[in-house]
Amino acid sequence: MIPYFRSLAARFVHRRQTERELEEELRSHIELRADGLERSGFTRAEAERRARIEFGGEARFKEECRDAIAGNFIDVLMQDLRFSLRMLAKQPVFAVVAIVTLAIGIGMTTAMLSIVHDVLVRPLPYANSERLYAVYTGSDSTGQTRIAASGPEYQDYHDQNKSFSQIAEYLPRFTFTWTGEGEPKLVTCTAGSEDFFAALGVRPYLGRLYEPREYTYLEDDTMVVSYRFWKTKLGGDPHVIGRKIRLQDESVAIIGVLPPMSDLFPDTDVWPKLTTRPSWPFMQWRANKFLRVVGELRPGITPKMAEEDLTAIIRRAPDEPRDVRVQLAPLKEDLVGNLRAPLIATLGAAALILVVASINVAALLLARAVKRQPEIALRLSLGAGLGRIARQLITEATVLSGAGCALGLLLAWSALRLVAQLPNLSLPRLDEVHLNTPALAVTILIASATTVLFGWLPAMGFSRLHLSSALRSRGTETGERRKLSLPALVVAEIACSVVLTISVALLVHSFWRVMHVDPGFQARSLFRVYLRSDSPPNDPEGLRVYNEKAVPFWQNLLTETASLPGVRSTAISDWKPGRDSEIATLLLEGRPYDEAHLPAIEGTWVSADFFRTVGAQLVTGRSFTERDNADAPPVVVINTQAARQFWPGQNPIGKRIGVNYTGPGRRTSGATPRLREIVGIVGTMRHGPLDAPTAPAVYMPYLQDETSHNMSAMNLLVRTEGSAMGLAEDLRRQIHALRPDQPVEQIQSVEELEAQSLAPRRYTLLLLATFAVVDLVLAAVGVYGVISYVTAQRTREFGVRIALGATRGRVISEVLRSGVRLTAIGSVIGLVGAFVATRSLSELLFEISPLDPLSYSAAVALLAFISLCACLVPAWRASRVDPIIAMQSE
Amino acid sequence: MNDEAELLPGTLDLLILKAVSLGPLHGYAVLSRIEQISGQALFIEQGALYPALFRLVRQGLLKTEWGKSDNNRRAKFYELTSKGCKRLREETDGWNRLVAAIASALAARPQEA
Repeated sequence: MIPYFRSLAARFVHRRQTERELEEELRSHIELRADGLERSGFTRAEAERRARIEFGGEARFKEECRDAIAGNFIDVLMQDLRFSLRMLAKQPVFAVVAIVTLAIGIGMTTAMLSIVHDVLVRPLPYANSERLYAVYTGSDSTGQTRIAASGPEYQDYHDQNKSFSQIAEYLPRFTFTWTGEGEPKLVTCTAGSEDFFAALGVRPYLGRLYEPREYTYLEDDTMVVSYRFWKTKLGGDPHVIGRKIRLQDESVAIIGVLPPMSDLFPDTDVWPKLTTRPSWPFMQWRANKFLRVVGELRPGITPKMAEEDLTAIIRRAPDEPRDVRVQLAPLKEDLVGNLRAPLIATLGAAALILVVASINVAALLLARAVKRQPEIALRLSLGAGLGRIARQLITEATVLSGAGCALGLLLAWSALRLVAQLPNLSLPRLDEVHLNTPALAVTILIASATTVLFGWLPAMGFSRLHLSSALRSRGTETGERRKLSLPALVVAEIACSVVLTISVALLVHSFWRVMHVDPGFQARSLFRVYLRSDSPPNDPEGLRVYNEKAVPFWQNLLTETASLPGVRSTAISDWKPGRDSEIATLLLEGRPYDEAHLPAIEGTWVSADFFRTVGAQLVTGRSFTERDNADAPPVVVINTQAARQFWPGQNPIGKRIGVNYTGPGRRTSGATPRLREIVGIVGTMRHGPLDAPTAPAVYMPYLQDETSHNMSAMNLLVRTEGSAMGLAEDLRRQIHALRPDQPVEQIQSVEELEAQSLAPRRYTLLLLATFAVVDLVLAAVGVYGVISYVTAQRTREFGVRIALGATRGRVISEVLRSGVRLTAIGSVIGLVGAFVATRSLSELLFEISPLDPLSYSAAVALLAFISLCACLVPAWRASRVDPIIAMQSE
Repeated sequence: MNDEAELLPGTLDLLILKAVSLGPLHGYAVLSRIEQISGQALFIEQGALYPALFRLVRQGLLKTEWGKSDNNRRAKFYELTSKGCKRLREETDGWNRLVAAIASALAARPQEA
């Protein structure tokens, strides 16, 4: 080991001395040899000359000696690095294009890999997270899947299952009012049953969780709050335990703070308990399926075994379809599964960009390598080894990809920060997303692979370089290999671009369709205020009709707000614009009644002015009036889809139906609902997001509400005239004048709500469209570069042909034709790729097929156009070739 | 770190070690000694000697010292280290075994095969 280090020191510490000694030693050798020759009769000069010749290539052996000293590779590397930097500095445009191109590809891919890893791949941070499963039911005969559970169903699972060590029910994202501290506010709640925290293995950050005793009574007197709520709303108060706050007009004591949980409903403020014995009446209705169930499998139990176990349990329950079965989904998939399609699509697009970027850089380097043929040939002839040249080329490529990688990581880092701040993009687990090790590893791997590829590809070409021809040709000839590989790169690039462009075209077409969907009402100048009352939602009777107490408030609210300046009309409704409306089941008079197969329908309670306020189209019959009150005969308006579906070819007006509520917190009083007369039909409205399918719907006067629905939440809808400046303040003042403790939040235009509901789609589209634009630019640069290069190689040929009488038009068309040929081949390959790739997009498409011909042809046409434009400049340049100059240039 | 493969497989290093084993020598003398002890049968390109010497120094088989030659010229002398001695013995044994094996193989007659 010591000699090695001494040798290393000789190189780096005593560099000059080493060099001098080497010089001296070789000179001494030659002189000693010359001494010998002199003795055999040569003159001194002749002897020295011969000694030199006998010695051989002195420079080469010196080099070999230096190589033999330890640490040589470092020296060579530094040398190569300096040379590479010099070469790149000489062609700054080339260097910048290559580095930026790579940086974009690497940056996008790394950012997306980080997101995909952290959101989709990373396991949940709970003990036994791989054994946590969400429980749903489904049935083939009704075509329903992912049906939530009712209270009694959960009880059956809980009491009878043999598969889960813990099983819990929970209800995410409902609201409570928070009063008594300044402006009344709303808090978002997620409630779990007794085993919920235990199943997840969550421990409190501060204080304690609920004790078993606290699950034995209904009232909320204690409360566990989220870390976020504690930090942002309670000021991170270290003495928060025991503090009392007013929720739903009840005083509750804070007993615990949860740790940050970005995986599980990160927007939750407070975590009330969910009791099962005793429980609220609405939790005891078997048809009231609104609870989510999560369980931890016992060790050794597979999901399949558990499904069979639970299926056997639910089949014993009354009123279930005969083929009902339980479906288990890993909890993580349950929480983030809906993000899989858009995230994977975006990652795929980023990867395509990286491929195109790599191809571009490879093409750039190849083209440049050909220009450098004479230089390399000269170096080869002067004794440079091929390995040494390859090393030099790879070093150059490393400098490029290293710089690209560094810049790319910077890009990825800023992209991730940007994504975390995008409004309306509530990706779960995102606040923990950062550049992570797997993503970095993949990036480094990609960078290394591209480096070797970029460096090696040109080096391969030189291995068959014929010295004489390369020197003679002065770099204007291309070898067969390169003739093949450059166009092949263009074809690959176009193929990738076609796949990406088609994918984006499909999304654009879908988005266009979504934006042009007729929502069935006028979203413009329509505002809504979400009004959650502080009345305890959990009326132990379960059947309290709230109307009597609350009706004056709502009626006053309607009249007062309707007279505000700039307001044309107002209405209330329990429909949540842009989100959903309640689901009910329908009972048709005079038709067989099958409890297990009641047709589902959207059921909405509205005030008299509702249709006028939202701008719905009355098709036939009448809409509601003030006279449709509690004392009047019950009436209902249906939408056209319900009319078509339930009364095909008949006039539904005058028919009678019953509407059964099964949603959380409400049920129709009595065994069967009252029959209501259909008095009108309105055009179908989209109650949910614009890209969700429409459903049959019924509308009923809120004054005729006969359910346990206590109007704990209603939306005030306000139709304004022109500008709505100051509306929010007016509304807030008006509402507080009527009910001081009423939280007034979320005053939003319905247009905005609709836009929010489309946010995931919009973001996916924006991101992919950005990628597509980048990709098209890259492809254009690539095609331009290669065609320019290939055309430049033929300058002399074009010169000769022009001299022999070829017209300039003919030259142009010839260059274009070669471009068109490459584009055509690339497009065909790309089309085949798109057939396969776009299948994975089908979840993201709206009312078009993944093989939508319009998108396909538009994308290919766009790409062909861009590629043609990229060929035009070189073609034009070729046609301007002056024959005399072209031939003299040789 | 072993780049012997680039040479005539290993023999030059062995010859250098052998030449130096008889006493410290400078480069030119190593060459002359090899020619002498091999009965002029081996030709070595003069310059090629030095990379081999440097490599052996790096491997710790030789050590160097500057001194005066017979005719009073300054020259760098190479001397075998103990590690070099050991290596020379090993390589010599290995070479002898190889030569013996090849000789016996070549001496084999058809019926013995």
